[in-house]
Amino acid sequence: MKTRIKELRARYDLTQEELAKKIGVRRETILFIEKGKYNPSLKLAHDIAKALQTTVDELFIFKDDE
Amino acid sequence: MKDIKGILLGIGIAAAVLVTLSFYVLNAGNIELEEFFLIGIVIILVVSAMYIIWDRIKNVNKGLPAQDERLKLTNYKACSYGFIASIWSAVGIPLISGILFDFEMPGNYVTAVVVLCGGLTFMISYLYFAYKGE
Repeated sequence: MKTRIKELRARYDLTQEELAKKIGVRRETILFIEKGKYNPSLKLAHDIAKALQTTVDELFIFKDDE
Repeated sequence: MKDIKGILLGIGIAAAVLVTLSFYVLNAGNIELEEFFLIGIVIILVVSAMYIIWDRIKNVNKGLPAQDERLKLTNYKACSYGFIASIWSAVGIPLISGILFDFEMPGNYVTAVVVLCGGLTFMISYLYFAYKGE
């Protein structure tokens, strides 16, 4: 799974820490989601998408073979 | 508020462990090599717990939560590894000491080893998953 979080963060000029504060998670969680090392829950994915003014399926890119 | 309560509870437990350990060391008289090893593991556990508490305080001061969904999952995962390590050490350590060193371990030693093995495995896996990712 790939994400567009980094790209959208840059668009809204948000640091990982600022995004983490908005959503109410730790900075490392954002880092690991960006790196693809952690799959967030549906609620967290929804919260991130909302904070970055996008939708969950635009934020996360799934590959069929995964 | 819940985060702060958790942090204060953690500090209290760590302080209680250190006080108990210092009383034990002061009243134990001659401490044998195995006991040094066990005391060392307890100190490692307390230092790791203090590191986790310090990290949580740092996050709370920045306005971030002390624990989130990823850390809760990490906690469950580390707990299950610690549990498995405890069970295996309860079976394995008396066997190994009997076969390799021809030494029948007393029950209190086995209990101590089981608790410390579980604790150490929990700490190592928690720190690994929390700071290196899964």
